[in-house]
Amino acid sequence: MVDVELRAKRDALEYLWRQGLGGQALLHKHSQLIDDYLISCFLNCPEAGEGMSLVALGGYGRKELFPYSDIDLLLLHAPGTEDRLGAVTEALFYPLWDAGLEVGHGVRTQDACLADARQDFFFQVALLDARHLTGAPQLFSSLRQTFHGELIAGHRREFLQNMMRHRNERHQRYGLHSYQLEPNIKESRGGFRDIQAMTWVSHALFGLHELHDIEEAGLISPQERDAFAQARDSLIKIRNRLHYLSGRKNDQMFFEYQEEMAKAFKYPNTKGTLGVERFMQDLYRHLQTIATTTDLFFEHVDETLGSPRSNPGEQTIEPGITVRQDRLHLTDQALIEKRPYLMMRLFAYSGKTGLEIHHRSRKIVTANLHLVDDKIRHSKRMAKPFLDVLENAQDVMGVLSVILDTGLLTAYLPEFEQIRALAQHDVYHVFTVDRHLLQTVAELKKLSPGKTPFAGVESPHILALAALLHDIGKGHHEDHAKHGGKLAAGVGKRLGLTEAETACLQFLVENHLFLTVTALRRDLEDDAFLRQCAEQIQTPERLTMLYLLSIADAKATGPTAWSEWKGALLLEISLKISHLLERKDTILPDKSQGAEWMLEQVCALMGKTATPDCGILPEEYLLSFPPEEVAHHLRLRAGLKNEIQAITEATDHGMFWSVLIMAHDSTGLLAKICGTLALHGLNVVSAQIFTWEDGTVVDVLNVRPAAEQTYAEQEWQALGKDLNLALKNRLGLSHRLVEKFRTAFRSPGQKNVQAPPRVVIDNKVSEQYTIIEVFANDRPGLLYDITRTLADFEINIHRARISSDSDQVVDVFYTLDSFATKINNPSFQEEISKALLHIAENETGTGTKLQW
Amino acid sequence: MKKIEAIIKPFKLDEVKDALNEMGIKGMTISEVKGYGRQKGHKEIYRGAEYIVDFIPKVKIEIIIEAAMVDAVVNRIRETANTGKIGDGKIFVLPVDEVIRVRTGETGKEAI
Repeated sequence: MVDVELRAKRDALEYLWRQGLGGQALLHKHSQLIDDYLISCFLNCPEAGEGMSLVALGGYGRKELFPYSDIDLLLLHAPGTEDRLGAVTEALFYPLWDAGLEVGHGVRTQDACLADARQDFFFQVALLDARHLTGAPQLFSSLRQTFHGELIAGHRREFLQNMMRHRNERHQRYGLHSYQLEPNIKESRGGFRDIQAMTWVSHALFGLHELHDIEEAGLISPQERDAFAQARDSLIKIRNRLHYLSGRKNDQMFFEYQEEMAKAFKYPNTKGTLGVERFMQDLYRHLQTIATTTDLFFEHVDETLGSPRSNPGEQTIEPGITVRQDRLHLTDQALIEKRPYLMMRLFAYSGKTGLEIHHRSRKIVTANLHLVDDKIRHSKRMAKPFLDVLENAQDVMGVLSVILDTGLLTAYLPEFEQIRALAQHDVYHVFTVDRHLLQTVAELKKLSPGKTPFAGVESPHILALAALLHDIGKGHHEDHAKHGGKLAAGVGKRLGLTEAETACLQFLVENHLFLTVTALRRDLEDDAFLRQCAEQIQTPERLTMLYLLSIADAKATGPTAWSEWKGALLLEISLKISHLLERKDTILPDKSQGAEWMLEQVCALMGKTATPDCGILPEEYLLSFPPEEVAHHLRLRAGLKNEIQAITEATDHGMFWSVLIMAHDSTGLLAKICGTLALHGLNVVSAQIFTWEDGTVVDVLNVRPAAEQTYAEQEWQALGKDLNLALKNRLGLSHRLVEKFRTAFRSPGQKNVQAPPRVVIDNKVSEQYTIIEVFANDRPGLLYDITRTLADFEINIHRARISSDSDQVVDVFYTLDSFATKINNPSFQEEISKALLHIAENETGTGTKLQW
Repeated sequence: MKKIEAIIKPFKLDEVKDALNEMGIKGMTISEVKGYGRQKGHKEIYRGAEYIVDFIPKVKIEIIIEAAMVDAVVNRIRETANTGKIGDGKIFVLPVDEVIRVRTGETGKEAI
């Protein structure tokens, strides 16, 4: 019952741990305990002895045995001892298994060891840590010598390459989302494997065994050594506890253990943060320290051993910054002390050129952080390259990560200290806050203008800065957006932004959740609420910025935070608010003042040569077009001589085209225009109709082609010609339309179930006009028929909105009767309604009942 | 036993959830769905470019209840999710043959 003894010893060890035996002492004690036990087993086994040697490998070989770590053993034997091996392995391994320990075991001759080591890199590095426990010493020393002689010496470069490749692969594998939330403190970036990779390389390549040896060899700096040792010791304590807490070999900091670990390490909850979040923050910082130090170490060693790089040329970019072998270097310590902003310029160059910064220069930055004082934090020479990185860096994530890792970001923006490596204890926020912020800047850059309707921001640097700072207020007891807004405003002032830019930055940070939250939680059809939103956001520019920030933020949060579903809601609310923001009457509250201002602009544009009679331009018309267009209309008016002539101008707007038509007013003009457009295969989507005091009509109709047709293919000249014919009453629109659309008409059998047509005449909505709404099932030529009917009643149409986006077409007309007054007479209203209903109900169109 | 599937507007989810909790219904499955019914997709024109919103985002709630509760539950969802506008959603009531709790193997009423 030997396993009972082993179990008791391990229980005693756990007891000692509970009494305070911590860190490395526990690892040594544990190794010692297993050593003693195995040696006594070996010595007590009569078959063991000559021609055999017991060797500890891996972590056990290094005497770093964590509570539930594997015990890696090698029974090294000389050829010819095979008949005794069975009994020895039984005596050694069975009790370990019975005690429930995980044992990695091998029984090999020296030749087999070397052959395996050649095949398997992991076995090769395990042999690096080999430690003789008991048995024939010459067997072990022979293996050791041959191993170093044949596999390491002369293969140093290959060994390093293998190590670096495995390290990179491991980082990728353990860099996935799930490991961000629940880091594996052995395998993740900055975990024990990275520590070991560094010690293996130092040991195998340079014969350096301890951390201080590595420092003395100049591979790491004294500061790095201290930080590294501290991080490593903390990670050892954490891993010991994690093993005991899990009761098994578990190195992943699963969610369910995080809180208990935080409690055990005495991290209480405070007003602003949870204890568990600060515990995880410290853990992430330890991992980051190891990762940064080992990154620099490997770059250094790689450079020392590596073949010269392809481009050995040297080029000075500016005094103090040089490109050498495709890496950026800081070359002048004295100059850095004089101009600390050189450090930020280094990163701006890295961002612009895509060149990496040499590891020694990264260390120089870290060693000179004390130079970043309040004066530098207010310096424009520092702010400029910093904003340049945010806005223009090719690999913005890569460059910002290095700025963060060197400590420069926190030195420059002390507001970052609070959130550096801060974790959020939920499954939603996958990254720590600082990484999330960098990621948001990167995601923002990926949102290419073509893919979203909101793009083309006037001040991209403000938006990028807002992305970098939007969560800066986390870890504080106040609402993080509000608090963050204040902090961001402080940053903005220091960086020398204008007052307006700072206000915009603060607004964006304060409201970075606004769109997302409202899109999900509020009724998007509540117009009053949408108006409030528009008032709060104020300008289309801010809306665009918020929209882009919301998407980048969500995408940088984690795999569950962004979905097309959310994207659709976000787009909907943004479009609705944008329509409100872009409407001119909300921008120009005082209409009369706006009209006067417009007139001045128009006169200025027209110049003295042709002083227009501006009195003929109605106020509403003036407020509907930019000054340039009004001036253009006035010029066109001068060329409009013939009483029955129209000028037609088309403009391509991409998804729709607009047609400007100018003519002298006459009855049925709009009907003729609509009919001609329909005849040329154009559907009207909206129309603005104005009549100047002198009887000039300015109609702008937005149209879309009924068939697949490009703007260039449309026969605009023929359209103008036909329109002029129609105005002269020389074109029979009715019969031509029926002819054209004969095949397009639905046969009665296929008719969909649709709501019956409706006509609503309203005098309340508008002070000035009678609004006539026609709800009808769409068909070609419908608009022509409706406008013609209205013309028959001598009703003037001043504005129209034609929408075909629901089940029915809804045509809205702002009208006045022939005396330019509202249509108030109820019997006349009824007559109009009936006439329009007759048109709307007539499925075949143009007044003629066709039979087929 | 019946299964209730309610398709509602996203912003109504919290209210409906609370209302159902008040009625003693604690378990439900919620998913983000897209679709269209009478409230068809629509086109939006913004700065000259057109964006077609062909499927409209909704939330789907699925619950299993005893048949006797159907009327009360359906009415409650209807009251809570109603805004009076097009696109408020739909409620489906489906028969359920059997419910089995995976962990214990309990069936029927006990497993709801």
